[in-house]
Amino acid sequence: MLAVGIVLALIDQGGGYFFSLGTVFSVMQLFATFGLVALGLGLSMLVREFDLSVAGVVGLAGCIAVMTGVSNPWLGVLFGVGAGVVSGVIQGLIMTRLHLSSVGVTLGGLLTLQGLTYVLTENKTIGYPNIAVALGLNAPIGGLVSVRSVAVLAVFVIAALAMTYTHIGRDIIASGSDRRASRVAGLKTDRVIIGVFAASGASAAFAGVLLSYSLGAASPVALADVLPTAAAAAIVGGVSVVGGRGSPLGIAAGVLTLCILRSGLSAIGVEPHVHDLVTGAILLAIAVLDAPELLQRVTAWRLDRAERKA
Amino acid sequence: MSELSLGARFRLSGARARHLVLGVRIVAGGAIAAFALSTPGFISPLSINALLNAISLIGCVAVGMTFITLTGNIMSLCLGATVSASALIFLASLSFGVFAASLIAILFGVVITAVQGFLVGSIRANPILVSIAGLSLLIGGAALITGGQRIYPSGEGLQMFKGRVAGVPVEALYFFATVLIGQLVLSGTRVGREMTMVGSNPRAATAAGIGTTSAITYAYVIAGACSAVSGILLAARYGSGDMELGAGYDYTAIAAVLVGGTSIQGGSGSVLRTLVGVTVIAIIEVVLLLRGFSQQLQYLITGIIVLLVIMLHTIGERR
Repeated sequence: MLAVGIVLALIDQGGGYFFSLGTVFSVMQLFATFGLVALGLGLSMLVREFDLSVAGVVGLAGCIAVMTGVSNPWLGVLFGVGAGVVSGVIQGLIMTRLHLSSVGVTLGGLLTLQGLTYVLTENKTIGYPNIAVALGLNAPIGGLVSVRSVAVLAVFVIAALAMTYTHIGRDIIASGSDRRASRVAGLKTDRVIIGVFAASGASAAFAGVLLSYSLGAASPVALADVLPTAAAAAIVGGVSVVGGRGSPLGIAAGVLTLCILRSGLSAIGVEPHVHDLVTGAILLAIAVLDAPELLQRVTAWRLDRAERKA
Repeated sequence: MSELSLGARFRLSGARARHLVLGVRIVAGGAIAAFALSTPGFISPLSINALLNAISLIGCVAVGMTFITLTGNIMSLCLGATVSASALIFLASLSFGVFAASLIAILFGVVITAVQGFLVGSIRANPILVSIAGLSLLIGGAALITGGQRIYPSGEGLQMFKGRVAGVPVEALYFFATVLIGQLVLSGTRVGREMTMVGSNPRAATAAGIGTTSAITYAYVIAGACSAVSGILLAARYGSGDMELGAGYDYTAIAAVLVGGTSIQGGSGSVLRTLVGVTVIAIIEVVLLLRGFSQQLQYLITGIIVLLVIMLHTIGERR
């Protein structure tokens, strides 16, 4: 699917406006917004689960950060990310202790988190008066990145390093590929799962905090559409829904691909609805090309035709 | 054999576990019923109507979602958009007459989902990704064709889908018909039963000679038809439409499916269970409203209860 990314870039270049600094910047800004959510979701997919609650965590963490971080932004980060970790741990505990499937638990989690966000904000948008932080986060550095996107990149790098060079990565992939076998082999899969969900909560929370700070406000309905995009990014990035396959770098690539697509389309002056059409078409193409039984079907179909001719 | 495991210390198995789970379900159901009945104003025509209305619209989509979940394909994120798009098509085709418009809308819903179902069923494309692709294509396509404007009915005939019959909202009748047809297809036809088998164990199903591709495709087709029905009812209710009509329906629908007890992994569940699920969620919402909870608290409590009910169901299941 990296090949698809390259093809995309080539197609976009036909527009001529693509490779400007401004475009790269907007790509990186989008990346900063969606990247961590996709990372969290992707991590949960690696262990064969699906963390629907990331969308809710983003909103809640953003609100908490805005509410607690007025005097000291780092305090807001602490509380926001902390909330994400707590939500992840609670859901992870429910899942492992009661042997439940993640979709149900995280769906309930999503609704609960969104509800909490509404209650906390009393359904109003809360402004974040610390403008210096808002501007500082988004100011372009060298025209390409901002503090926000650098922070997100840093998280990805840390995740990738942790996955590759420590046993965490092996444990996660093992739990995802075959949980029972891993458990038999002595791996404490429960802890892995709780850890993964804590990480995905933290990741999404950080994304929410950054976003709220940079928008200067936190709203309960921020990023309600984030789930499909994050899921698509993770899947495009090579994470398999049935677990055991994928990596943070792959997820980053997936997010980048989608962001390049979106920014590229805007840059060459395409209208919004065509974005969706093109995104949909490309996602469909990826879904088809990546499908496990594509080769089998095509071969079977060919054999069928050959037989009939003979 | 079912196993109940609440941590290493509590371990029940077999019949005792099943009885315990059944008991807890009955108690929970009773609690909800008691909670509802003790709420002033619940048993009034106004609230019953509100209840039926809420159930009917989301319920149709939930029924459709059930089929997708049963075949082991988790959920579809584009049914909400299918609802909206079908509503738009219905409104735009009213100039051909009500029946033709309904047919066209349903056909549209069916085609959209059939393509997705075929891809998922034949080459096992990722169902979530395919549904997201469908979502994007629908939104983009609709924006392209409508230019972002609301669509108004191009003809007469909306009355068929509005109003009451013998005091019951017409939408509820259509919904119950959908439930009935859905359940009959599921348990009474060969294809329906195949869907459940495919969800339960796709490899065994293929080995047993079941047409997995057609089973999954038909499941998606039914989901599309149900979404189209919901779209038609919505279009009639509001008299005009845009793509926001069905937004968010996907999550409520899958919540209803899971609350009803259908397994997210597929292979277990039924349309009737989804009916229960939709009813439970709607009752909770209406009750919270009647008891004067603020909108935020309503949302929160509904979410927590959904979580608890889902936990309740899956406790009895083996991993």
